[in-house]
Amino acid sequence: MTSLLSFLNVSKRYPDGGRAVLVLDRVSLEVDAGVSVGVYGARRSGKSTLLRLAAGIALPDSGTIRFDGRDITQMTGGERGRLLRGEMAFMCAADWRANPGETVVDHVATSLGSEGLTMREARRRAMHVLDRVEIGAAGAHEPTIALSAAESVRVMLARALARNPRLLVLDEPALFPNLSERDGFYAMLRSAARERNMALLVASEEMASLQGFNVLISIADGELISTEARATVVSLPGRRRAGTERPGR
Amino acid sequence: MRATVAETQGQDVGTIRQNVLVAVLSSLAGSAPTRPRRGAMASVSAEKTRWMRGPSTPLRGALLGLLLERPGHGGDLANRLSVRLGETWRVDTNDVYRLLEQLENTGLAASRDEPKRNNNRRTHLVYYPTEQTPEALTLWMETLLPREPVRLGLQAKLSVARQQDAPRVLIALKAYERECLVLARLVLPTDGSARSWTALCMDCTREAVYAQLQVEIDWATRTRRRINEFMERSQ
Repeated sequence: MTSLLSFLNVSKRYPDGGRAVLVLDRVSLEVDAGVSVGVYGARRSGKSTLLRLAAGIALPDSGTIRFDGRDITQMTGGERGRLLRGEMAFMCAADWRANPGETVVDHVATSLGSEGLTMREARRRAMHVLDRVEIGAAGAHEPTIALSAAESVRVMLARALARNPRLLVLDEPALFPNLSERDGFYAMLRSAARERNMALLVASEEMASLQGFNVLISIADGELISTEARATVVSLPGRRRAGTERPGR
Repeated sequence: MRATVAETQGQDVGTIRQNVLVAVLSSLAGSAPTRPRRGAMASVSAEKTRWMRGPSTPLRGALLGLLLERPGHGGDLANRLSVRLGETWRVDTNDVYRLLEQLENTGLAASRDEPKRNNNRRTHLVYYPTEQTPEALTLWMETLLPREPVRLGLQAKLSVARQQDAPRVLIALKAYERECLVLARLVLPTDGSARSWTALCMDCTREAVYAQLQVEIDWATRTRRRINEFMERSQ
């Protein structure tokens, strides 16, 4: 069976002054449809890089990343963009942007622009999904600027769910002001994923955020350790450790 | 752990959650009835791993490492053990004598009556490594110790690891990290709507488990990084 998402020997470096920092070192990983994968790691451990590569936002230096059998690394920017607006959704709380004065329902509905829906149909679908994330009818007609931090994360989730993606990639969904809101959000996320048979790839620096996930991965120094054998690094004799190296070496 | 999960059938969700949490916490504390592990242990003759049974294995392993560094009498080894393992370990000198005797009985240490340095008329037993000691120490480094408090076992290994043991220690650290992830996955999630005091307490316990596991994983990754950096520098 083909995995929904697969990484094969993926490496990624970032320039840092005169050096290149090896963030991912020949990482292999497979995510099946409907499976939730939680990635735990400290700050600057490579979590975001892993997720941005999975979503096709960044490209690896080497290795292959496939989504439903298609090699993302060989796609054009436009093709990757379409993938990200269709079968895949990427969400990062730090990226929350909404037009001032725009209502919540319109904010969600406008994300459906590429689906060929009328605004009325888009709003209907947006209302349905907002209801799913427990933003009621009253909240849906509020301006986005009035949302609390926890509500804005729910609206971001609604925006992602509205397009029925097969894979939802969430980078540090949010730091919630209280723990019951955090737990409530993740419970909602898991149940929405189950209903839609949607795969989840979620990164957090808090283990407790990854409760109830099917697969847990820790990431550090470019390496992955997983509860599943299929998410591994390829350990070769004499492999270079993740860290810094001179460019061109 | 598996037994605990199997026993949950027919219980209400609250009890199941509580059982899993207790099992995970116990496992972290080293008292869980964990299953015996196959693998490295199975391929090695039972004779060679007999000394690795029981809760004192980390101390016995650490003593082998110290003996290989240099021979010593019981008191000296107990002192060195205390210094090496740090304040969190309670090393009893009497226990050390008993463990040395056990190691001698299994052929991993040998003792000789020697005069005391400051009093030639009196003697004490000085323990030496045997031909089997290096192999036993290497084997211990490679062996997962599921019946022991794993973190303590790892700490003991680290305290006496030789530089050539670095790859084995790295493997043990990765295995521990994975074990922590597996434990985290066992904890049943909450929906964040703790409506009763009992549910709230369970949520707090769950938070404790995650916090503990997070600390353990962070420690393991930092330790791996330190070892890797050292090995890279010394190449």
